[in-house]
Amino acid sequence: MTRPSPFSVRGRRALTLMRDERDLTIVRRQLNRLGMSVAEHDPAELPPMDETFDVIVLDADSVPIKSDPAVAWKLNIPIIALIGTETPSRLKWLLDLQPASFLIKPLRSAGLYTALVVAFDAAQRRIEEAAHVAKLEDRIRSRRVVFAAVLQVMRAHALSEEDAFALIRETAMRHRTTIEQLCADIIAAGGMPNRTSRTA
Amino acid sequence: MTKPSIPLGLVFSRSGPYAMMAREMEKSALMAVDEINQSAAFDFTFAAHLRDPGGVVTSYHAACDDLIRENHVEHIVGCYTSASRKQVIPIVERTERLLWHPARYEGFESSDNVIYVGAAPNHTVVPLVRHMLERIATDVFCAGSNYVWTWETNRVLREIVTNSGGRILAERLLELGDTTVDHIVKEIIDRRPPVVFNTLVGESSYSFMRALHAASIRAGIFIPVLSCSLCEPELKLIGPVASVGSITSSAYFESIESPENRAFVARWKARHGPDSHPSVDGQSTYVCVMLLARAIRRAGSTDVAAVRRGAANHRYESPQGPVWVDPDNNHCFLTPRLARSVPGCRFDIFWEADAPERPDPYLANLDMAAIVTKPTRGHDAVARRSNHLRVVK
Repeated sequence: MTRPSPFSVRGRRALTLMRDERDLTIVRRQLNRLGMSVAEHDPAELPPMDETFDVIVLDADSVPIKSDPAVAWKLNIPIIALIGTETPSRLKWLLDLQPASFLIKPLRSAGLYTALVVAFDAAQRRIEEAAHVAKLEDRIRSRRVVFAAVLQVMRAHALSEEDAFALIRETAMRHRTTIEQLCADIIAAGGMPNRTSRTA
Repeated sequence: MTKPSIPLGLVFSRSGPYAMMAREMEKSALMAVDEINQSAAFDFTFAAHLRDPGGVVTSYHAACDDLIRENHVEHIVGCYTSASRKQVIPIVERTERLLWHPARYEGFESSDNVIYVGAAPNHTVVPLVRHMLERIATDVFCAGSNYVWTWETNRVLREIVTNSGGRILAERLLELGDTTVDHIVKEIIDRRPPVVFNTLVGESSYSFMRALHAASIRAGIFIPVLSCSLCEPELKLIGPVASVGSITSSAYFESIESPENRAFVARWKARHGPDSHPSVDGQSTYVCVMLLARAIRRAGSTDVAAVRRGAANHRYESPQGPVWVDPDNNHCFLTPRLARSVPGCRFDIFWEADAPERPDPYLANLDMAAIVTKPTRGHDAVARRSNHLRVVK
Protein backbone atom coordinates (compact mmCIF):
# COMPACT_ATOMS: atom_id res chain seq x y z
CA MET A 1 0.00 0.00 0.00
CA THR A 2 1.50 3.36 -0.96
CA ARG A 3 1.01 5.93 1.72
CA PRO A 4 -0.19 9.34 0.48
CA SER A 5 2.51 11.88 1.30
CA PRO A 6 1.34 14.36 3.93
CA PHE A 7 3.69 16.93 2.38
CA SER A 8 1.86 17.25 -0.91
CA VAL A 9 -1.31 19.09 -0.07
CA ARG A 10 -2.20 20.32 -3.56
CA GLY A 11 -5.73 19.47 -4.63
CA ARG A 12 -6.98 18.63 -1.12
CA ARG A 13 -10.19 20.23 0.10
CA ALA A 14 -10.47 22.27 3.27
CA LEU A 15 -13.61 23.40 5.08
CA THR A 16 -13.26 26.47 7.27
CA LEU A 17 -15.48 26.93 10.29
CA MET A 18 -14.46 30.45 11.15
CA ARG A 19 -15.93 33.92 11.52
CA ASP A 20 -13.02 36.31 12.07
CA GLU A 21 -12.52 37.96 8.69
CA ARG A 22 -8.83 38.70 9.35
CA ASP A 23 -8.05 35.08 10.20
CA LEU A 24 -10.17 33.89 7.27
CA THR A 25 -8.20 36.08 4.88
CA ILE A 26 -4.94 34.55 6.09
CA VAL A 27 -6.27 30.98 5.87
CA ARG A 28 -7.79 31.52 2.40
CA ARG A 29 -4.57 33.07 1.03
CA GLN A 30 -2.32 30.42 2.50
CA LEU A 31 -4.51 27.52 1.30
CA ASN A 32 -4.62 29.03 -2.19
CA ARG A 33 -0.83 29.35 -2.19
CA LEU A 34 -0.66 25.65 -1.38
CA GLY A 35 -3.02 24.76 -4.22
CA MET A 36 -5.86 23.61 -1.93
CA SER A 37 -9.51 24.44 -2.43
CA VAL A 38 -11.49 26.10 0.34
CA ALA A 39 -15.16 25.96 1.29
CA GLU A 40 -16.52 28.11 4.09
CA HIS A 41 -19.24 27.25 6.55
CA ASP A 42 -20.74 29.01 9.54
CA PRO A 43 -19.45 27.32 12.69
CA ALA A 44 -22.80 27.64 14.46
CA GLU A 45 -24.61 25.73 11.71
CA LEU A 46 -24.86 21.96 11.42
CA PRO A 47 -22.28 20.30 9.13
CA PRO A 48 -23.01 20.09 5.38
CA MET A 49 -23.76 16.42 4.77
CA ASP A 50 -23.55 16.38 0.99
CA GLU A 51 -19.86 17.21 0.64
CA THR A 52 -16.60 15.58 1.65
CA PHE A 53 -13.48 17.36 2.87
CA ASP A 54 -9.91 16.37 3.64
CA VAL A 55 -9.48 18.71 6.58
CA ILE A 56 -11.51 21.08 8.75
CA VAL A 57 -10.04 24.35 10.03
CA LEU A 58 -12.09 25.15 13.10
CA ASP A 59 -11.99 28.33 15.13
CA ALA A 60 -12.48 26.75 18.52
CA ASP A 61 -13.73 30.02 20.01
CA SER A 62 -16.57 30.31 17.52
CA VAL A 63 -18.63 27.29 18.63
CA PRO A 64 -20.61 27.38 21.88
CA ILE A 65 -19.50 24.38 23.96
CA LYS A 66 -22.92 22.99 24.77
CA SER A 67 -24.54 23.41 21.35
CA ASP A 68 -25.72 20.86 18.78
CA PRO A 69 -23.05 21.84 16.23
CA ALA A 70 -20.42 21.34 18.92
CA VAL A 71 -21.37 17.65 18.96
CA ALA A 72 -22.04 17.38 15.23
CA TRP A 73 -18.46 18.31 14.30
CA LYS A 74 -17.17 15.02 15.70
CA LEU A 75 -16.71 13.70 12.19
CA ASN A 76 -14.04 11.41 10.86
CA ILE A 77 -12.16 14.28 9.19
CA PRO A 78 -8.92 15.66 10.68
CA ILE A 79 -9.48 18.94 12.48
CA ILE A 80 -7.03 21.83 12.83
CA ALA A 81 -8.13 23.81 15.85
CA LEU A 82 -7.51 27.57 16.03
CA ILE A 83 -7.15 28.39 19.68
CA GLY A 84 -7.63 31.74 21.38
CA THR A 85 -9.16 30.88 24.75
CA GLU A 86 -6.99 28.48 26.68
CA THR A 87 -9.44 27.83 29.54
CA PRO A 88 -9.69 24.18 30.63
CA SER A 89 -13.44 24.13 29.89
CA ARG A 90 -12.80 25.10 26.28
CA LEU A 91 -9.82 22.77 25.93
CA LYS A 92 -11.80 19.86 27.40
CA TRP A 93 -14.39 20.29 24.67
CA LEU A 94 -11.60 20.53 22.13
CA LEU A 95 -9.99 17.28 23.31
CA ASP A 96 -13.29 15.48 22.68
CA LEU A 97 -13.01 16.54 19.03
CA GLN A 98 -9.52 14.94 18.91
CA PRO A 99 -7.91 17.76 16.88
CA ALA A 100 -5.15 16.46 14.63
CA SER A 101 -3.20 19.69 15.09
CA PHE A 102 -3.70 23.26 16.27
CA LEU A 103 -2.62 26.86 15.81
CA ILE A 104 -2.65 29.69 18.33
CA LYS A 105 -4.43 32.90 17.31
CA PRO A 106 -3.72 35.51 16.00
CA LEU A 107 -2.80 33.63 12.86
CA ARG A 108 0.25 34.29 10.68
CA SER A 109 0.95 32.88 7.26
CA ALA A 110 3.65 30.70 8.83
CA GLY A 111 2.36 27.66 10.69
CA LEU A 112 -0.62 26.59 8.62
CA TYR A 113 1.44 24.35 6.33
CA THR A 114 2.90 22.59 9.37
CA ALA A 115 -0.57 22.19 10.87
CA LEU A 116 -1.85 20.67 7.60
CA VAL A 117 1.08 18.25 7.27
CA VAL A 118 0.68 17.14 10.90
CA ALA A 119 -3.09 16.76 10.42
CA PHE A 120 -2.80 14.71 7.22
CA ASP A 121 -0.08 12.55 8.75
CA ALA A 122 -2.12 12.04 11.94
CA ALA A 123 -5.21 11.16 9.91
CA GLN A 124 -3.26 8.62 7.87
CA ARG A 125 -1.78 7.09 11.02
CA ARG A 126 -5.26 6.86 12.54
CA ILE A 127 -6.51 4.94 9.50
CA GLU A 128 -3.53 2.59 9.64
CA GLU A 129 -3.83 2.09 13.38
CA ALA A 130 -7.56 1.39 13.09
CA ALA A 131 -6.83 -1.27 10.44
CA HIS A 132 -4.13 -2.76 12.66
CA VAL A 133 -6.43 -2.85 15.67
CA ALA A 134 -9.18 -4.46 13.58
CA LYS A 135 -6.72 -7.17 12.52
CA LEU A 136 -5.65 -7.80 16.11
CA GLU A 137 -9.24 -7.97 17.28
CA ASP A 138 -9.95 -10.45 14.53
CA ARG A 139 -7.11 -12.62 15.78
CA ILE A 140 -8.35 -12.45 19.36
CA ARG A 141 -11.84 -13.46 18.22
CA SER A 142 -10.44 -16.47 16.35
CA ARG A 143 -8.27 -17.62 19.24
CA ARG A 144 -11.00 -20.06 20.39
CA VAL A 145 -11.22 -21.52 16.86
CA VAL A 146 -7.43 -21.99 16.68
CA PHE A 147 -7.43 -23.66 20.09
CA ALA A 148 -10.21 -26.06 19.04
CA ALA A 149 -8.44 -26.89 15.75
CA VAL A 150 -5.12 -27.60 17.51
CA LEU A 151 -6.93 -29.94 19.91
CA GLN A 152 -8.59 -31.76 17.02
CA VAL A 153 -5.27 -32.22 15.14
CA MET A 154 -3.56 -33.37 18.38
CA ARG A 155 -6.24 -36.06 18.85
CA ALA A 156 -6.50 -37.12 15.19
CA HIS A 157 -2.76 -37.42 14.60
CA ALA A 158 -1.55 -38.16 18.13
CA LEU A 159 0.69 -35.10 18.18
CA SER A 160 1.94 -32.81 20.95
CA GLU A 161 0.44 -29.33 21.07
CA GLU A 162 3.66 -27.90 19.70
CA ASP A 163 3.80 -30.32 16.76
CA ALA A 164 0.08 -29.88 16.03
CA PHE A 165 0.48 -26.12 15.84
CA ALA A 166 3.61 -26.45 13.68
CA LEU A 167 1.69 -28.71 11.27
CA ILE A 168 -1.18 -26.23 11.05
CA ARG A 169 1.21 -23.34 10.48
CA GLU A 170 3.10 -25.17 7.72
CA THR A 171 -0.13 -26.24 6.05
CA ALA A 172 -1.45 -22.67 6.19
CA MET A 173 1.73 -21.42 4.59
CA ARG A 174 1.58 -24.08 1.88
CA HIS A 175 -2.05 -23.24 1.17
CA ARG A 176 -1.25 -19.55 1.28
CA THR A 177 -3.90 -18.81 3.84
CA THR A 178 -3.89 -17.55 7.42
CA ILE A 179 -3.67 -19.84 10.43
CA GLU A 180 -7.05 -18.52 11.56
CA GLN A 181 -8.69 -19.33 8.22
CA LEU A 182 -7.19 -22.84 8.08
CA CYS A 183 -8.35 -23.52 11.65
CA ALA A 184 -11.89 -22.49 10.69
CA ASP A 185 -11.64 -24.92 7.73
CA ILE A 186 -10.37 -27.71 10.04
CA ILE A 187 -13.33 -27.25 12.38
CA ALA A 188 -15.78 -27.15 9.44
CA ALA A 189 -14.27 -30.23 7.75
CA GLY A 190 -13.76 -32.16 10.97
CA GLY A 191 -10.08 -32.60 10.14
CA MET A 192 -7.23 -31.39 7.91
CA PRO A 193 -8.78 -30.13 4.66
CA ASN A 194 -7.89 -31.72 1.32
CA ARG A 195 -4.56 -30.22 0.29
CA THR A 196 -5.33 -29.89 -3.43
CA SER A 197 -8.58 -28.02 -2.85
CA ARG A 198 -6.86 -24.92 -1.48
CA THR A 199 -3.63 -24.69 -3.34
CA ALA A 200 -3.39 -21.29 -4.91
CA MET B 1 14.53 72.43 -2.94
CA THR B 2 16.06 69.40 -1.26
CA LYS B 3 14.21 66.16 -1.60
CA PRO B 4 12.80 64.46 1.49
CA SER B 5 15.05 61.71 2.84
CA ILE B 6 13.71 58.25 3.60
CA PRO B 7 15.62 56.13 6.14
CA LEU B 8 16.51 52.69 4.76
CA GLY B 9 17.91 49.86 6.88
CA LEU B 10 20.65 47.64 5.41
CA VAL B 11 21.43 44.51 7.43
CA PHE B 12 24.40 42.56 6.08
CA SER B 13 27.10 40.59 7.91
CA ARG B 14 30.26 42.28 6.64
CA SER B 15 32.12 40.07 9.11
CA GLY B 16 31.61 36.41 9.94
CA PRO B 17 31.38 33.18 7.92
CA TYR B 18 29.54 34.49 4.83
CA ALA B 19 31.03 38.00 4.87
CA MET B 20 32.15 37.74 1.24
CA MET B 21 28.59 37.35 -0.07
CA ALA B 22 27.15 39.89 2.37
CA ARG B 23 29.73 42.51 1.40
CA GLU B 24 28.81 42.00 -2.27
CA MET B 25 25.17 42.54 -1.31
CA GLU B 26 25.84 45.66 0.74
CA LYS B 27 27.96 47.15 -2.04
CA SER B 28 25.11 46.56 -4.48
CA ALA B 29 22.54 48.10 -2.14
CA LEU B 30 24.66 51.22 -1.71
CA MET B 31 25.16 51.48 -5.47
CA ALA B 32 21.38 51.39 -5.95
CA VAL B 33 20.89 53.95 -3.17
CA ASP B 34 23.34 56.34 -4.87
CA GLU B 35 21.61 55.88 -8.23
CA ILE B 36 18.20 56.63 -6.71
CA ASN B 37 19.60 59.65 -4.86
CA GLN B 38 21.09 61.08 -8.06
CA SER B 39 18.07 60.33 -10.22
CA ALA B 40 15.63 63.03 -11.23
CA ALA B 41 12.98 60.35 -11.61
CA PHE B 42 12.53 60.05 -7.84
CA ASP B 43 11.34 62.92 -5.66
CA PHE B 44 12.97 61.48 -2.54
CA THR B 45 16.37 60.16 -1.46
CA PHE B 46 17.34 57.17 0.66
CA ALA B 47 19.44 57.58 3.80
CA ALA B 48 21.11 54.21 4.29
CA HIS B 49 21.59 52.98 7.86
CA LEU B 50 24.01 50.06 8.00
CA ARG B 51 24.07 47.25 10.54
CA ASP B 52 26.54 44.36 10.70
CA PRO B 53 25.24 41.41 12.76
CA GLY B 54 28.59 39.66 12.15
CA GLY B 55 26.96 36.49 10.90
CA VAL B 56 25.60 35.81 14.41
CA VAL B 57 21.98 34.69 14.06
CA THR B 58 20.82 36.14 17.37
CA SER B 59 22.28 39.58 16.52
CA TYR B 60 19.85 40.08 13.63
CA HIS B 61 16.91 40.71 15.94
CA ALA B 62 18.81 43.42 17.85
CA ALA B 63 20.08 45.01 14.62
CA CYS B 64 16.54 45.34 13.24
CA ASP B 65 15.07 46.43 16.56
CA ASP B 66 17.71 49.17 16.66
CA LEU B 67 17.00 50.29 13.07
CA ILE B 68 13.28 50.51 13.81
CA ARG B 69 13.58 52.32 17.16
CA GLU B 70 16.61 54.56 16.54
CA ASN B 71 16.49 55.23 12.81
CA HIS B 72 12.72 54.89 12.35
CA VAL B 73 13.08 52.74 9.26
CA GLU B 74 9.99 51.22 7.71
CA HIS B 75 11.91 49.22 5.13
CA ILE B 76 14.90 46.94 5.64
CA VAL B 77 16.94 45.33 2.89
CA GLY B 78 19.03 42.45 4.12
CA CYS B 79 19.67 38.92 5.34
CA TYR B 80 21.52 36.25 3.39
CA THR B 81 20.76 33.05 5.31
CA SER B 82 17.34 31.63 6.13
CA ALA B 83 18.29 31.40 9.79
CA SER B 84 18.83 35.16 9.92
CA ARG B 85 15.58 35.85 8.03
CA LYS B 86 13.62 33.72 10.51
CA GLN B 87 15.04 35.92 13.30
CA VAL B 88 13.92 39.10 11.59
CA ILE B 89 10.40 38.01 10.57
CA PRO B 90 8.81 38.19 14.07
CA ILE B 91 9.98 41.78 14.57
CA VAL B 92 8.89 43.05 11.12
CA GLU B 93 5.52 41.30 11.55
CA ARG B 94 4.96 42.72 15.02
CA THR B 95 5.96 46.26 14.07
CA GLU B 96 4.42 46.12 10.55
CA ARG B 97 7.66 46.82 8.68
CA LEU B 98 8.84 45.32 5.39
CA LEU B 99 11.94 43.17 4.91
CA TRP B 100 13.21 43.10 1.32
CA HIS B 101 15.03 39.79 1.05
CA PRO B 102 17.53 39.46 -1.83
CA ALA B 103 18.86 35.91 -1.53
CA ARG B 104 17.48 32.79 -3.16
CA TYR B 105 16.19 30.38 -0.53
CA GLU B 106 14.56 26.98 -0.13
CA GLY B 107 10.93 28.14 -0.07
CA PHE B 108 8.04 27.12 2.24
CA GLU B 109 7.47 30.59 3.64
CA SER B 110 5.25 33.56 2.72
CA SER B 111 5.25 36.32 5.30
CA ASP B 112 3.14 39.38 4.52
CA ASN B 113 6.01 41.48 5.85
CA VAL B 114 8.70 40.12 3.55
CA ILE B 115 9.17 40.81 -0.15
CA TYR B 116 11.12 37.83 -1.47
CA VAL B 117 13.21 39.14 -4.38
CA GLY B 118 15.54 36.13 -4.56
CA ALA B 119 14.64 33.01 -6.49
CA ALA B 120 12.10 30.49 -5.21
CA PRO B 121 12.84 26.73 -5.54
CA ASN B 122 10.85 26.49 -8.78
CA HIS B 123 13.30 29.01 -10.27
CA THR B 124 16.49 27.21 -9.20
CA VAL B 125 16.47 23.54 -8.24
CA VAL B 126 13.59 22.43 -10.47
CA PRO B 127 15.07 23.60 -13.85
CA LEU B 128 18.45 22.20 -12.84
CA VAL B 129 17.09 18.75 -11.94
CA ARG B 130 14.98 18.75 -15.10
CA HIS B 131 18.08 19.49 -17.16
CA MET B 132 20.00 16.76 -15.36
CA LEU B 133 17.32 14.14 -16.03
CA GLU B 134 16.80 15.19 -19.64
CA ARG B 135 20.42 15.62 -20.64
CA ILE B 136 22.88 14.03 -18.22
CA ALA B 137 21.80 11.16 -15.98
CA THR B 138 19.12 9.85 -13.64
CA ASP B 139 21.54 8.67 -10.92
CA VAL B 140 23.23 11.39 -8.87
CA PHE B 141 25.76 11.79 -6.05
CA CYS B 142 24.96 14.62 -3.61
CA ALA B 143 27.50 16.66 -1.64
CA GLY B 144 26.20 19.48 0.53
CA SER B 145 26.55 21.65 3.61
CA ASN B 146 24.59 20.32 6.57
CA TYR B 147 21.84 22.93 6.88
CA VAL B 148 18.33 23.82 5.70
CA TRP B 149 19.26 24.82 2.11
CA THR B 150 20.85 21.42 1.39
CA TRP B 151 18.21 19.42 3.26
CA GLU B 152 15.32 20.95 1.36
CA THR B 153 17.08 21.16 -2.02
CA ASN B 154 18.05 17.49 -1.75
CA ARG B 155 14.52 16.55 -0.71
CA VAL B 156 13.15 18.17 -3.88
CA LEU B 157 15.93 16.53 -5.91
CA ARG B 158 15.16 13.12 -4.38
CA GLU B 159 11.42 13.46 -5.01
CA ILE B 160 11.88 14.35 -8.68
CA VAL B 161 14.71 11.85 -9.30
CA THR B 162 13.02 8.85 -7.67
CA ASN B 163 9.75 9.73 -9.38
CA SER B 164 11.65 9.50 -12.68
CA GLY B 165 13.12 6.11 -11.82
CA GLY B 166 16.56 7.48 -10.89
CA ARG B 167 18.56 7.00 -7.72
CA ILE B 168 20.35 9.15 -5.15
CA LEU B 169 23.66 7.26 -5.08
CA ALA B 170 24.84 8.98 -1.90
CA GLU B 171 24.22 12.07 0.18
CA ARG B 172 27.38 13.33 1.88
CA LEU B 173 27.14 16.35 4.20
CA LEU B 174 29.78 18.63 5.71
CA GLU B 175 29.29 21.09 8.56
CA LEU B 176 29.21 24.75 7.45
CA GLY B 177 32.74 26.02 6.92
CA ASP B 178 34.28 22.50 7.06
CA THR B 179 36.92 22.06 4.34
CA THR B 180 37.88 18.42 4.99
CA VAL B 181 36.55 17.27 1.64
CA ASP B 182 39.08 14.54 0.74
CA HIS B 183 36.94 11.57 1.84
CA ILE B 184 34.02 12.76 -0.28
CA VAL B 185 36.25 13.40 -3.30
CA LYS B 186 37.82 9.93 -2.89
CA GLU B 187 34.40 8.29 -2.77
CA ILE B 188 33.33 10.14 -5.92
CA ILE B 189 36.49 9.13 -7.80
CA ASP B 190 36.09 5.50 -6.63
CA ARG B 191 32.40 5.23 -7.50
CA ARG B 192 32.42 7.44 -10.61
CA PRO B 193 28.81 8.66 -10.45
CA PRO B 194 27.50 10.12 -13.74
CA VAL B 195 26.86 13.49 -12.07
CA VAL B 196 27.45 15.32 -8.76
CA PHE B 197 24.91 17.70 -7.22
CA ASN B 198 26.78 20.27 -5.13
CA THR B 199 24.93 22.21 -2.41
CA LEU B 200 28.07 22.97 -0.41
CA VAL B 201 28.44 26.67 0.35
CA GLY B 202 31.36 29.05 0.90
CA GLU B 203 34.81 27.66 1.68
CA SER B 204 33.51 24.07 1.80
CA SER B 205 32.40 24.38 -1.80
CA TYR B 206 35.61 26.05 -3.02
CA SER B 207 37.79 23.36 -1.40
CA PHE B 208 35.56 20.63 -2.81
CA MET B 209 35.64 22.00 -6.36
CA ARG B 210 39.43 22.35 -6.29
CA ALA B 211 39.99 18.87 -4.83
CA LEU B 212 37.52 17.18 -7.18
CA HIS B 213 39.08 18.90 -10.17
CA ALA B 214 42.60 17.79 -9.18
CA ALA B 215 41.50 14.21 -8.42
CA SER B 216 39.51 13.96 -11.68
CA ILE B 217 42.55 14.96 -13.71
CA ARG B 218 44.72 12.41 -11.89
CA ALA B 219 42.10 9.71 -12.56
CA GLY B 220 41.62 10.87 -16.14
CA ILE B 221 37.84 11.28 -15.80
CA PHE B 222 35.32 14.12 -15.99
CA ILE B 223 32.24 14.21 -13.80
CA PRO B 224 29.79 17.09 -14.33
CA VAL B 225 29.01 19.11 -11.19
CA LEU B 226 25.67 20.88 -10.75
CA SER B 227 25.04 23.85 -8.46
CA CYS B 228 22.19 26.20 -7.56
CA SER B 229 24.34 28.84 -5.93
CA LEU B 230 27.67 29.33 -7.65
CA CYS B 231 28.37 32.91 -8.80
CA GLU B 232 31.13 34.79 -10.63
CA PRO B 233 33.08 36.10 -7.59
CA GLU B 234 33.16 32.51 -6.31
CA LEU B 235 34.60 31.19 -9.59
CA LYS B 236 37.51 33.52 -8.92
CA LEU B 237 37.95 32.15 -5.40
CA ILE B 238 37.86 28.54 -6.62
CA GLY B 239 40.51 29.30 -9.22
CA PRO B 240 40.65 29.87 -12.97
CA VAL B 241 41.02 26.17 -13.87
CA ALA B 242 39.10 24.25 -11.18
CA SER B 243 36.06 26.49 -11.58
CA VAL B 244 35.53 25.58 -15.25
CA GLY B 245 32.71 23.27 -16.35
CA SER B 246 30.26 23.58 -13.50
CA ILE B 247 26.59 23.76 -14.50
CA THR B 248 24.74 26.36 -12.47
CA SER B 249 21.10 27.39 -12.16
CA SER B 250 20.50 31.05 -11.39
CA ALA B 251 18.25 33.99 -12.22
CA TYR B 252 21.28 36.19 -12.87
CA PHE B 253 24.63 35.85 -14.59
CA GLU B 254 26.98 38.71 -15.44
CA SER B 255 26.94 37.45 -19.05
CA ILE B 256 23.22 38.16 -19.66
CA GLU B 257 23.00 39.98 -22.99
CA SER B 258 20.61 42.88 -22.55
CA PRO B 259 21.00 46.67 -22.63
CA GLU B 260 19.94 46.87 -18.97
CA ASN B 261 22.55 44.34 -17.87
CA ARG B 262 25.36 45.71 -20.03
CA ALA B 263 24.75 49.15 -18.54
CA PHE B 264 24.56 47.68 -15.02
CA VAL B 265 27.84 45.76 -15.43
CA ALA B 266 29.52 48.89 -16.83
CA ARG B 267 28.34 50.97 -13.86
CA TRP B 268 29.42 48.18 -11.50
CA LYS B 269 32.93 48.00 -12.96
CA ALA B 270 33.26 51.80 -12.99
CA ARG B 271 32.44 51.82 -9.29
CA HIS B 272 34.20 48.66 -8.06
CA GLY B 273 37.05 48.18 -10.52
CA PRO B 274 37.45 46.49 -13.91
CA ASP B 275 38.36 43.12 -12.35
CA SER B 276 35.27 42.96 -10.12
CA HIS B 277 32.13 41.01 -11.00
CA PRO B 278 28.55 41.53 -9.85
CA SER B 279 27.07 38.38 -8.27
CA VAL B 280 23.53 36.97 -8.35
CA ASP B 281 22.91 38.00 -4.73
CA GLY B 282 24.48 41.43 -5.29
CA GLN B 283 22.37 42.07 -8.36
CA SER B 284 19.30 40.85 -6.48
CA THR B 285 20.05 43.30 -3.63
CA TYR B 286 20.28 46.09 -6.20
CA VAL B 287 16.88 44.96 -7.54
CA CYS B 288 15.45 45.04 -3.99
CA VAL B 289 16.33 48.74 -3.58
CA MET B 290 15.07 49.55 -7.09
CA LEU B 291 11.75 47.72 -6.53
CA LEU B 292 11.35 49.48 -3.18
CA ALA B 293 12.05 52.92 -4.68
CA ARG B 294 9.54 52.30 -7.48
CA ALA B 295 6.92 51.02 -5.05
CA ILE B 296 7.34 54.11 -2.84
CA ARG B 297 7.01 56.33 -5.90
CA ARG B 298 3.82 54.55 -6.99
CA ALA B 299 2.39 54.59 -3.46
CA GLY B 300 3.35 58.23 -2.83
CA SER B 301 4.18 57.05 0.68
CA THR B 302 6.54 54.83 2.67
CA ASP B 303 3.60 53.28 4.51
CA VAL B 304 4.08 49.52 4.43
CA ALA B 305 0.57 48.59 3.27
CA ALA B 306 0.69 51.24 0.52
CA VAL B 307 4.18 50.19 -0.60
CA ARG B 308 3.13 46.53 -0.67
CA ARG B 309 0.24 47.48 -2.97
CA GLY B 310 2.56 49.72 -5.00
CA ALA B 311 5.02 46.86 -5.52
CA ALA B 312 2.38 44.33 -6.57
CA ASN B 313 2.59 43.42 -10.27
CA HIS B 314 4.75 46.47 -11.04
CA ARG B 315 7.17 45.43 -13.77
CA TYR B 316 10.77 46.61 -13.46
CA GLU B 317 13.27 46.10 -16.31
CA SER B 318 16.18 44.98 -14.15
CA PRO B 319 19.66 43.74 -15.11
CA GLN B 320 18.33 40.16 -14.86
CA GLY B 321 15.33 41.01 -17.04
CA PRO B 322 11.75 41.88 -16.14
CA VAL B 323 10.97 41.39 -12.43
CA TRP B 324 7.72 41.95 -10.59
CA VAL B 325 6.18 41.02 -7.24
CA ASP B 326 3.40 38.43 -7.22
CA PRO B 327 0.93 39.75 -4.61
CA ASP B 328 -0.35 36.19 -4.04
CA ASN B 329 2.81 35.24 -2.14
CA ASN B 330 5.12 38.32 -2.07
CA HIS B 331 7.74 36.47 -4.12
CA CYS B 332 8.97 37.66 -7.55
CA PHE B 333 8.43 36.61 -11.13
CA LEU B 334 11.96 35.83 -12.36
CA THR B 335 13.57 34.23 -15.41
CA PRO B 336 15.39 30.97 -14.57
CA ARG B 337 18.63 30.32 -16.44
CA LEU B 338 21.22 27.56 -16.74
CA ALA B 339 24.86 28.25 -17.52
CA ARG B 340 28.22 26.51 -17.68
CA SER B 341 31.30 28.09 -16.11
CA VAL B 342 33.99 28.79 -18.70
CA PRO B 343 37.61 30.07 -18.55
CA GLY B 344 37.85 33.68 -17.41
CA CYS B 345 35.56 33.16 -14.38
CA ARG B 346 32.49 33.65 -16.53
CA PHE B 347 29.27 31.77 -17.17
CA ASP B 348 28.12 30.74 -20.61
CA ILE B 349 24.30 30.75 -20.53
CA PHE B 350 22.88 27.83 -22.54
CA TRP B 351 19.23 27.93 -21.50
CA GLU B 352 16.72 30.43 -20.20
CA ALA B 353 12.97 30.30 -19.70
CA ASP B 354 10.84 31.89 -22.41
CA ALA B 355 9.34 34.35 -19.93
CA PRO B 356 9.59 35.22 -16.23
CA GLU B 357 8.18 32.33 -14.19
CA ARG B 358 5.56 32.71 -11.49
CA PRO B 359 7.12 32.11 -8.06
CA ASP B 360 5.98 28.87 -6.40
CA PRO B 361 7.50 28.91 -2.90
CA TYR B 362 5.59 25.79 -1.81
CA LEU B 363 6.18 23.94 -5.11
CA ALA B 364 2.39 23.53 -5.16
CA ASN B 365 2.40 23.47 -8.96
CA LEU B 366 5.34 21.14 -9.51
CA ASP B 367 4.20 18.79 -12.27
CA MET B 368 6.28 15.61 -12.08
CA ALA B 369 4.60 14.19 -15.18
CA ALA B 370 6.03 17.06 -17.27
CA ILE B 371 9.60 16.04 -16.42
CA VAL B 372 10.91 13.77 -19.16
CA THR B 373 13.83 11.45 -18.55
CA LYS B 374 16.04 11.01 -21.56
CA PRO B 375 19.58 10.49 -20.34
CA THR B 376 21.98 10.75 -23.24
CA ARG B 377 25.12 8.69 -23.43
CA GLY B 378 28.24 10.41 -22.27
CA HIS B 379 28.51 13.00 -19.58
CA ASP B 380 28.45 16.27 -21.39
CA ALA B 381 25.34 18.34 -21.03
CA VAL B 382 24.97 19.78 -24.48
CA ALA B 383 21.75 21.69 -24.74
CA ARG B 384 19.59 20.73 -27.66
CA ARG B 385 16.18 21.86 -28.65
CA SER B 386 13.29 20.17 -26.91
CA ASN B 387 9.86 21.04 -25.62
CA HIS B 388 11.35 22.16 -22.36
CA LEU B 389 14.69 23.66 -23.28
CA ARG B 390 15.35 26.67 -25.44
CA VAL B 391 18.87 27.38 -26.57
CA VAL B 392 19.90 30.99 -26.41
CA LYS B 393 22.61 32.62 -28.53
